[in-house]
Amino acid sequence: MQFPLLTLIVFLPLLGAVAVALLGDKRASAVRMTAMVVAVVDLALVALLVAGFDTSAGMQFAEKVPWVPQVGITYHLSVDGMSLSMLLLSALLTVLAIVASWRTEKKPALWFSMLLLLEVGMNGVFVAMDFVLFYVFWELVLVPMYFLIGTWGGPRREYAAIKFFLYTLLGSVFMLVGIIALYLQTGTFDMLVMAEAGGLPANFQWWVFAAFFLGFAVKVPVFPLHTWLPDAHVEAPTAASVLLAGILLKMGSYGFLRISLPILPDAAREWSGFIAALAAVSIVYGAALAFAQTDMKKLVAYSSVSHMGFVMLGIASLTPAGLNGAVAVMFSHGVVTGMLFFLVGMVYERTHTRTISEVSGLSSKVPVAAGLLAFASFASLGLPGLSGFVGEFLSLLGAWSSHLWPGWVIISAAGVLLAAAYMLWLVQRVVLGTPSEAVAPIGDLTRTEVAVLMPLVALTLIVGVYWDSLLRFTDGPVQTILALMGGI
Amino acid sequence: MTELAALIPEFLVLAGALAALFAGADERRLGPWLGAGCALAAAVAVALIGPSGELFGGVMELDAVAVFGRASIASLTALWLLWVAGRGLGADRSREAAAFALLSSLGGMLMVSAQDIIVLFISLELSTMPAYVLMGYRRTDARGLEGALKYFLLSMLTSLVMLYGLSFVYGVAGSTSYAALSSAPPGALLQVSVVLVLVGMFAKLSATPFHYWTPDAYEGAQAPSVAYVSTVPKLAGTIALAQLLGALPASPDTATVVVAAAVLSMLVGNLAAFPQSDLRRLMAYSGVAHTGYLLLALSSGASGGTAAVFYALAYAVPSMAIMLLGAEEGVALDDLAGLAARRPALAWASLVWLLSLVGIPPMAGFFGKLYLFTSAVSGGQLWPVLVAIAMSVVSAGYYFRVVRRVFFGERSDAPVPPRNVPAAATFAIATLIVLALGLFASPLLGLLELRFRDVAVALAPLFG
Repeated sequence: MQFPLLTLIVFLPLLGAVAVALLGDKRASAVRMTAMVVAVVDLALVALLVAGFDTSAGMQFAEKVPWVPQVGITYHLSVDGMSLSMLLLSALLTVLAIVASWRTEKKPALWFSMLLLLEVGMNGVFVAMDFVLFYVFWELVLVPMYFLIGTWGGPRREYAAIKFFLYTLLGSVFMLVGIIALYLQTGTFDMLVMAEAGGLPANFQWWVFAAFFLGFAVKVPVFPLHTWLPDAHVEAPTAASVLLAGILLKMGSYGFLRISLPILPDAAREWSGFIAALAAVSIVYGAALAFAQTDMKKLVAYSSVSHMGFVMLGIASLTPAGLNGAVAVMFSHGVVTGMLFFLVGMVYERTHTRTISEVSGLSSKVPVAAGLLAFASFASLGLPGLSGFVGEFLSLLGAWSSHLWPGWVIISAAGVLLAAAYMLWLVQRVVLGTPSEAVAPIGDLTRTEVAVLMPLVALTLIVGVYWDSLLRFTDGPVQTILALMGGI
Repeated sequence: MTELAALIPEFLVLAGALAALFAGADERRLGPWLGAGCALAAAVAVALIGPSGELFGGVMELDAVAVFGRASIASLTALWLLWVAGRGLGADRSREAAAFALLSSLGGMLMVSAQDIIVLFISLELSTMPAYVLMGYRRTDARGLEGALKYFLLSMLTSLVMLYGLSFVYGVAGSTSYAALSSAPPGALLQVSVVLVLVGMFAKLSATPFHYWTPDAYEGAQAPSVAYVSTVPKLAGTIALAQLLGALPASPDTATVVVAAAVLSMLVGNLAAFPQSDLRRLMAYSGVAHTGYLLLALSSGASGGTAAVFYALAYAVPSMAIMLLGAEEGVALDDLAGLAARRPALAWASLVWLLSLVGIPPMAGFFGKLYLFTSAVSGGQLWPVLVAIAMSVVSAGYYFRVVRRVFFGERSDAPVPPRNVPAAATFAIATLIVLALGLFASPLLGLLELRFRDVAVALAPLFG
């Protein structure tokens, strides 16, 4: 038996979470250090995984042990390039979230243990290849996020926390029905076996796809199931927002790619037009709402709805370019939106306001923060040469060359223009101009804060300039998915 | 003599009840301690003796489900008595309560192994009679007596309805044994009498529309009594009903009646639990809702029966623990405010119990629901399962009202009860069971001889 690297990556943070909780609030510095060490070691393990990863092979590092043999549940972890990119993002953002929230004073032990527990769920979702195991990790994410929002959030935190919880739970229980139906039909809980076997009746596929659609679309979120997102983001503390936007949303689109497409190919084709329509609406609607926001964090939150629309558009295209684009947007959005949420949080800590009209002239007072905010905004609006462009371009390209109605693609492309408009307008109002009253007394980013942002800046540039750095990992799985779908 | 040896666990429980009753002074809580020891010994004895065939000319049979049921009833009783041994029952004496609980458990243990309608009825009464007393344990408390009286009258009435039905069942089948039931000639009379019998069982399990006694009775009773009465008799009743339904000739009408009660219970229980501000009422309605899930599984044949048995245990352990928590901290939801600050370990344990009741993995409740929904869907009950699933989201709403108070609420005047090792051990054991039933369900399901796959594959064409 080989070294169980994936198990270690998934469950090391659990050990960390328990250790941190046992240390308690009184030993705050030990708590921080433990959390930090655990998260960094986990990231190092993921780096090891990346180093040992063979991009020409499919699923790797598999671990498969029977769990509940009576019912055919297995403990099956495995990783391919798509999972790997998400796993890397999850481990990296967790480290950055821990560093960025280093000075949390309210219940530090609970805070760091919840962050680590969240990492268990996030890592697990992307490597679990058994439906029950997948569902365990999927739901595991809810609990720490509920506490992160509910304990450290803004004034309406309890409402936002329970809304997030119930909304996602509603989606995921429908997913559970889908899982049960698939199990009864195929006699296995193993996703890969199911995808390989194929041959499910079309009518059955349609209904199961609908069940999974509800589960995944709430998480993505796709219009009109997105209403939990702004509440959760506005109330969540910065680090939780980063992980929510950076990883949790990706769980939904990952589900489409890992489960809905390969296992339910006929239904995916049938549904693709509808999904493209919802994607186009999400893109334009999210962008339009982002325009109207007066709160910086809400603006970023609605921009997420818009960006995730590109992911869904790419998925709906069912073409290699579109699917690669979808994964690229997922990765890039995690990096760039993470950066934006960190920056908004850092500005908020200094000015104590997120209202756009009260913050202006950052560039003359805090040039580093202003420069990074402008950089992140450019990346977010999809400036060529930065990571945001790669995925959106490929998604649109894939969708244009696909069977989808070109109208949806044109509408979506208009979303790119809108994104440019609202992001540039944000930069104009916040970064440029004369310092407002709230901005006048503040100081620039500390070295730690810059250190938090630098890895994200680097990834934005690397992926933006050298597309292959990301696409070499995603192309293999994408081709596999399309091959399993019977090729289009 | 050898046949009697198979009932050693039952004799141990009876001996425990008698010993507890005459255990002398109450200060050291010798009664509950003795009772807990006997109940635990009984559970171990059940496991050691294992399944054996028919007993006493076929009036009882110790099959795998019966063994599982007797072991879990005895263990849960031991767990409850451990808490009582630690904390006592306030101003009231604990030794009679221990004796009553053990007698009720004795009834439950006999009920799950019954293969004869007379044994079923007598053991059902033995299991409920002591429960009336436990519910009205404080004889000076008017509200408690009112609740207990309601419970008593409704329960008596439905018992009589059940007995009336059983008399017809005997008339149709020509025998009192379960074995004769399966070959009874089907017809309207059998159908009607089965429904009458089900009324009795539904009332004992507090299924809608026979649940009205539950919230009032629970609200009037002491929290520790509720912890027992809402869990162990329900576990026993579920298993007994599974055995009974397994013996009846398969009939779509019976299934319809059970499904109807299941759907109603899920709807009424979950929706009515929402506005409650008293933990006992909340758990009463939550119990009604969980009965709905159990009945849903029971409506779908043999694999449903084992799924229901598993789920009954997954329901009983956290529910008992939560009511015992209410017994320590106060029964108004607001009493639990700020528990996380006062007693963090207990607060986190309560989160595990509540998440298990919602059905969040990896707790026992999730796997219970997974097995339960799987067998119900494979039994063709797709729409009721969708209701059940939607209702579990609703249930998250009210369970999280408790979570919210425990973790985000504030209360400054709360007394912190002195440390108590047996009580703490009770909570720790309950938490471990809830986690272990989820994570290491495999041996247990093996014990229950649960084989969904066979059923699933056989029924797969349904979904073509």
